[in-house]
Amino acid sequence: MFKQTRFSLFFGALLAFVALFPENMYSQELEGDIRYLVTHNWTKKTIALDYLSKQQRERAAYMWGNRSEWKVYTTLYFTPTESKYEDSEERAEPDDEGYSWRKEAFFIKRNFAQNTLYDVFTLLGKTYIVEDSLRAPEWKILNDMKEVAGHICMNAYWEDTIKQQRITAWFALDLPVPAGPERLCGLPGLILEADYNDGAMNIAANRIQMKKLDKELDLPKKKIKGKKISEDEYATIVRKHVEEKRKAEEPWFWGMRY
Amino acid sequence: MKRILLPLWLCLLWLSPTLLQAQNPSRVTIKGIVRDTTEAEAAYATVMLLNPTDSTLVNFSRSDENGLFSFKNVKNTAYIFKISYIGHIPYQQHLNPSPTDINDLGMVYLKPISQELMEVVIRTAKAPLRIRGDTIEYDATTFKVPPGSTVEDLLRRLPGIEVAADGSIKAQGRDVQKVYVDGKTFFGDDPKSATKNLGAETISKVQVYDEKSEQAKLTGIDDGKKEKAMNLELKEEYKKGSFGKLTGAVGTEDRWAARGNYNRFNEKQQLSFIGYANNINETGVNWEDYGEFKGQNAFNDFDNGDFGFGYNGGGRYYSSSDNGLRNNFDGRGFTKNFGGGVNYNFDNKKTKYNASYVYNETTLDLDQLSLRETFLNDGSFTNTDTSTRLEFRGNHSIATRIEQNLDSSNLLIVKANLGFSNSNNQNRQAQYFIENNTTPTNSLLLDNGTLLDSWRLSSAAIFRHRFKKKGRSFAASAGYNNSQSDGRENIFSLNEVFTAPTRTDQIRQLNLNDNATEQFKSSLLYTEPLHKRWFLEAFYNFSHSANAVNRQVQDPELNNERITDLSVFYDFTTQFNRLGADIRYSHEGLNASAGLAGQRLDLDGRYATDRDMPLLTDPIKRTFDNAVPYLELEYEFPNNVWISADYTYNVSEPRLTDLQPIPNVNNPAFRNEGNPNLTPERSHSFSANLNYWNPASFANVGIGANFSQFDNQIIYNQTIDFVDSIGFRTTARPDNVSGGNRFNTYLWSSFPIVKTKLTMNLNGNLNAGRSPAFVNGIENETDNLGYNFNLGFSFTPSPKLILYAGGNLGFNNISYSIREDQNQKIQNHGANASAKWQFAAKTFLESNFTYSLFRNDRFDFKQEVPILNASVRHLLGPSNRFELRLAAFDIFNRRVSITQTGNQNYVVRNTASTLARYFMLSVSYNMRGYESKIKKGGWW
Repeated sequence: MFKQTRFSLFFGALLAFVALFPENMYSQELEGDIRYLVTHNWTKKTIALDYLSKQQRERAAYMWGNRSEWKVYTTLYFTPTESKYEDSEERAEPDDEGYSWRKEAFFIKRNFAQNTLYDVFTLLGKTYIVEDSLRAPEWKILNDMKEVAGHICMNAYWEDTIKQQRITAWFALDLPVPAGPERLCGLPGLILEADYNDGAMNIAANRIQMKKLDKELDLPKKKIKGKKISEDEYATIVRKHVEEKRKAEEPWFWGMRY
Repeated sequence: MKRILLPLWLCLLWLSPTLLQAQNPSRVTIKGIVRDTTEAEAAYATVMLLNPTDSTLVNFSRSDENGLFSFKNVKNTAYIFKISYIGHIPYQQHLNPSPTDINDLGMVYLKPISQELMEVVIRTAKAPLRIRGDTIEYDATTFKVPPGSTVEDLLRRLPGIEVAADGSIKAQGRDVQKVYVDGKTFFGDDPKSATKNLGAETISKVQVYDEKSEQAKLTGIDDGKKEKAMNLELKEEYKKGSFGKLTGAVGTEDRWAARGNYNRFNEKQQLSFIGYANNINETGVNWEDYGEFKGQNAFNDFDNGDFGFGYNGGGRYYSSSDNGLRNNFDGRGFTKNFGGGVNYNFDNKKTKYNASYVYNETTLDLDQLSLRETFLNDGSFTNTDTSTRLEFRGNHSIATRIEQNLDSSNLLIVKANLGFSNSNNQNRQAQYFIENNTTPTNSLLLDNGTLLDSWRLSSAAIFRHRFKKKGRSFAASAGYNNSQSDGRENIFSLNEVFTAPTRTDQIRQLNLNDNATEQFKSSLLYTEPLHKRWFLEAFYNFSHSANAVNRQVQDPELNNERITDLSVFYDFTTQFNRLGADIRYSHEGLNASAGLAGQRLDLDGRYATDRDMPLLTDPIKRTFDNAVPYLELEYEFPNNVWISADYTYNVSEPRLTDLQPIPNVNNPAFRNEGNPNLTPERSHSFSANLNYWNPASFANVGIGANFSQFDNQIIYNQTIDFVDSIGFRTTARPDNVSGGNRFNTYLWSSFPIVKTKLTMNLNGNLNAGRSPAFVNGIENETDNLGYNFNLGFSFTPSPKLILYAGGNLGFNNISYSIREDQNQKIQNHGANASAKWQFAAKTFLESNFTYSLFRNDRFDFKQEVPILNASVRHLLGPSNRFELRLAAFDIFNRRVSITQTGNQNYVVRNTASTLARYFMLSVSYNMRGYESKIKKGGWW
C-alpha cells in the first residue's frame, strides 16, 4: 500500500510539474527517439552468478574474458508522458549482416500520465502481455556525473533482488522524462545509460533525435497473441525460474531478457 | 504486575506517533528558491527528496524559470533534500520533520563546477567525475599514458592538477601536502615518494580533497585551515594472478602418474605451462586442463580461409588442432606417456596473438587377437591373428597465430604450424588360415619394423575488408603447406603352407620411403547486399599441390639389391580451380541459400621405378570438370524450434596411393594394387535436423537425418585366390562403382521428470548403408543396418548426492548378397551406473560401474565385461588446496577391449588386453583450492 501511494504521489508531482509549466523550454522539444547500443558480455553475466563456485567463475573469466561481447541496437520513443522501447532493425555487429534471427514479440510501453504499463515480451518461450499500474524501482540517487550522448547525467542505483542485478543508471539532467531502456523508469530525467552487474549488460544511448513522433508510440495493429498477466505474476514467474536455475547451478539468463 | 503493564505499554506505543503528530503536521509543503553563487536564478534545476537512511528517491520536481520550487503536501518526515543543476556541484541538505505546515528553505546556493573540469573531464575524457562532498575523483584508467609511466606522468594529464619540475603537486591552485595510497601514507611524508615511484598502470582512481591541517588533527581543535590531500586508489588485482595444479600418484602394479600446470595472467596476457607423465594410459590431458592451457585461444581453429560453400578442394592438410596434447587413448594396450608445453596469449581489442610449443610422446605395448572370417561366393576362410606391437611416437609442435584489426574495416589473420615427429614401430603377427572352418591351409609369420621421421608446415593468411555499405565485404586468403617424411620399413615374413610336403617361404624386404608434398592455395570472396533481405556471395578457390613419392624396395639378403618391380617413384600434381556464387535470403528467422559452382580438377602424374628413370607409362594427365550445386535452409519457428536442411554435391579426388600402378606386397597374403584410371568420387548428400528447447521445462530434443547417394564411389574390389605357394591371397584394387549409399538418423533428448532432481536422457540412432564391391568378379552388395538406443536417468536427491543409471542396446546386422547364409547379427549391449556422494564436509565418494555384453550368435560368441571403479577423496589445508585420493580401478579385474565390425565380405572381431585392476593413491595441490562440492553438469 505504502509503495503504491508513494509512487502515485511521485508521478503526481511530475504531472503537476508538466501541467504547471505548459510552455516551458522543453515542452515542444521533449519528444523523439533514442538509439541505444546494448552490449552483452556473457562472461560477466556468468561471473555475476553468485551460486557458481569461485573456481567456475574464475575459469569462465580466464577462458572467455576478452571475447564474449555481443552488441545490438534498441530504440526508445518518448514524449513527456509516454514511452515505447523496442528492438531495432539495425545491426550493431557487422558479422550479423546477412543472417536473420526470428524477432520475438517485444515492446515495453509506458504511460506516465495515466501511470500504466503495457509490456509484451517472450519469457521462457511464451509470449506474455503485462498490463498493470506503473511501479518504478526504488532508485538511490548518487553523486557521480558524466556525459552520455551529449547530455550531462547523474547516476542512480537500484538492486533487482529477483534477478540479482546491480543496476547503475545515468539520467540526463536536461531531459525531464521519467522513461528509460528495458523496464527501467522513474528517474527525474531520461535514462541514457544503464549498466547491469558491472558490464554484464550495458545499454548506452548513442544517438538522440528530437523530433515530433507520429505513430511510433501506437500499439501494433495486428493483435498480439499472448497471456495477460500482472506485474506480480511476472515477478513470480521470473523468481521461480531463477530459483530453479540456482538449484541446477546453471545460468538463468537463457530464455529471458537479462 | 507485568500483565497489567503490557496493555499500558501497548497503549503508549499506539499513542506515541499520534503525540508526535500533535507537535508536527502530518503533511508538509517544502519550498525554496535555487540560486547560483552569482545570485542568478537556477531555472529548471532538478530538486529531489531522498530517504535519509539509504538515499532512495522519494519525490522529485523542477524549479521554475525563477528558480522557485515546491513539494506540495508531502509526508512530513526527515529527508535528504538534493538539487542537481548542470554545471554545478550537486547540493545536498538534511531536512528534519517540519514543525509547521510550510517548510521554507529560503535561498539555496549552488557552487559551480569549474569550467575546466566540466569540459575536460566530463566532456572530453568522457570519464565519470565523482563528487562526494568536497572530494573530486578522477578515473585514472581513462587518461592514457605510455606504458611504464609513473603516477607523476599521469597527474600531469589530469585537469586541475599541476606538477612542478621538482615534482611538487598543486590541485585547484593549492599545494598538495599529503599523498596517500589506498588511504595509507606511502613511504614517509614526502608526497613525491609515491608519485615518482608508483607505476601509472597500478592506479585506478585519483581523489583530491581537503583535509584538516596537521595541527588541527593533533590538537583536536579545528583551526579552520584545510590542506589539500590526494589519495591514489590501487587497481583491484582480480584481473591479474596465477593458478596451477600439481598431482603425483603411485599405485599397485608399478603404476604411477604425475601432471601439473601453471598459468600466469593479467588483463591482456596469459602464459601457461603444462606437463604430464604416466603409465596409466593417459596419452594426454583432459579437456578441462587443455582448455586452461590454451586459455582465450582454445576455440580459435576455425579460420581456414577456404571460402564458399561445401569447400572440398585440396584440404588434405588437416592437422589436429590440439597438437596431440589431449588424451586420445583408444582403449587397447599399455602405454607410457610423457608430454608438456607452453602457451602464450596476448589479447586486446586490436590484436589477438597466440604462440605455443607442445611435445608429446607415447610408447605403446599392444597384444591383440583378431579373428577375421572372409566370405567367398563358394566358401569362406578364417584368419586367426595374434599380434604384438611395440610402438614409439614422438611429436613436437609449434603453432602461432595473430589476428590484427588494422582498423575498424580491415582484419588480417596470419597463422602457422610447424611439426616434427618420429616413430618407431615393431609389429609381430602370427596368422593361421583355415578354409571353410575345417581345413588349415597355412600359417604366416610377419615381423615388420618401421622407422619414420617427418615434418610439416602449414600456414595461412586471411585478409578481410568491410566496405562502408553494410553487408558488403571482401576477403582474400593464401596458404602454403609443406610436408616431408622419410621412412624405413624392414619387412620379414615366413609362410608355411600345409601342402604335402609342407612348403616354407621366407621374404625379406627393405622399403625406403621418401614422401614430399607441397601445396599453395588461395581463395577470394565477395559479399554484396542486393536488398534488405537478399545477399550475393561470389567466390573463387585455387589450389596447387605437388607430391613426390619415392619407394625403393631392396633385398637385404642380396646385398640390398633393388627389387625393381616393387620400387616406384612418382610425381603427381593436382590443381584445383573453382568459381561459384550463391544467393542468400535472410528474413524473420528464415535463412536460405542456393548456389552453383563450376570446378576443374587437373591431375598430372608420372611414374618410374626410381628418380631419373624412364617413365613406366605415359604421363597420366586427366581433367575433371564438374558443376556443383548447393542448397541450404535454416528456419527458426516461434517457441524455440529450429530446422535446417541442406543439399550438397561432393566431388573428391582419388588418393595418391590408390592411383600408383605398382603393387604393395609387404604382406604376401594381402596385396594392394593401385589404379591409375580412377576418377573422382562423386556423391549427393542431403541432411535435415530439428532442434527444440523448452527454457521453462528444461527439455531438449534434437532429431536429424542424413543421406548420401554415390554417383561414383571408390571401393576396393577383391580378388581372392588360393595360390599353392602362398595359401589364400587377397588382392585389393580400388575401382569406381555406383550404387553405394549411406543413411543415418539420430535422436537425442533430455527431459526433466522432476525439475532439478530427476532427468531422463533418451538417445538413439539408426544407420543403414549399402556398399557394392566385386569379389572375384562377382558383385557383392553388403548391407549394413545398425541401431542403438540409450536410456538414462540422472537423479540429484540433494546437492551432496548425484546418481546416474542407464542402459544401451546396440544391434548391427550385416547381410552379404553373395552369401546370405553368412549374414551377421552383431550385438553390443551395456548398462551403467554411477554415484557421486559428498558424505562428509570435505570427503567425496565417487564410483561407477559399467557392464558390457558383446554377442555374435553366428559364432556362438558372448562375452561379458563388468568394470567397477571407485575412489574416495578428501580435501584439506587452507582453502582446500590439497586433495588426497585413493582410487581403485577395475576392481573385478576384467577390463579388455573388444570391437566387432563387418564390412564388404568379411567380419572381424578384435580382442586386446589393456590395463586392468590397480589401486592408486594420489596427492594434489591446487593453488586456487578445490571446490568443496560436487560438480554438476558442465553447461559450457
